[in-house]
Amino acid sequence: MAEQSDFEAAERLSARRTRMLPLLAILLITQQGAFFANSGGDRIVDHVKVSAWLVMSAVILLALLTGGGWIYPKRVRNLANDEATQVNRLKAIRTGFVAAMVACLALYFLTFVEQVEVREAIHIVTTAGLTAALLSFAFMERRDARGG
Amino acid sequence: MRAVAERLANRIKEKRAELGLTQAELAERVGVTRKTVNTVENGVFVPSALLALKLAEALSVPVEELFRIER
Repeated sequence: MAEQSDFEAAERLSARRTRMLPLLAILLITQQGAFFANSGGDRIVDHVKVSAWLVMSAVILLALLTGGGWIYPKRVRNLANDEATQVNRLKAIRTGFVAAMVACLALYFLTFVEQVEVREAIHIVTTAGLTAALLSFAFMERRDARGG
Repeated sequence: MRAVAERLANRIKEKRAELGLTQAELAERVGVTRKTVNTVENGVFVPSALLALKLAEALSVPVEELFRIER
């Protein structure tokens, strides 16, 4: 019976994660909008916003690397991060890496016509990489859950 | 020489139906999610040797009877 509930919990974790991934991507992009709208501010609220972005980016990166679901028991996490999910996650991380590199190249050329602050560049590269990885992972997980 | 397109075909759906198992029940026997069984069954995901052997064991058939290379 315990195994049955672990299996059901893993199915729930997998479905919940698939629903959450695009929402996280939207939240990350929205945070970027707020950063660029108030760029260069030195108020406490600006530091809080940047700190929140840093924490969120680190958590998303960790979730992409480990599969997330840290509040669940190890057996449930292992079930939810089974072979097909691991492959999807690795493909998503590869997509994120490519997106980050493309963002770097685009920024390099942008510096010929416009000055780009280092922090702005870091925001753009990080957001491009994480958003691409999140959306790619979400797309593959949804496709697989639907029936290939 | 032109490379021939190859894919891993399987008889999971057929064998599962013979035993009266749902994808979820097979997934539970093997220790993966229903999504993984679904992707293997539909040929979207090529399983590792370990998973292929587990699937064959759960369906009580030799692995070579469950999977074959289709050219």
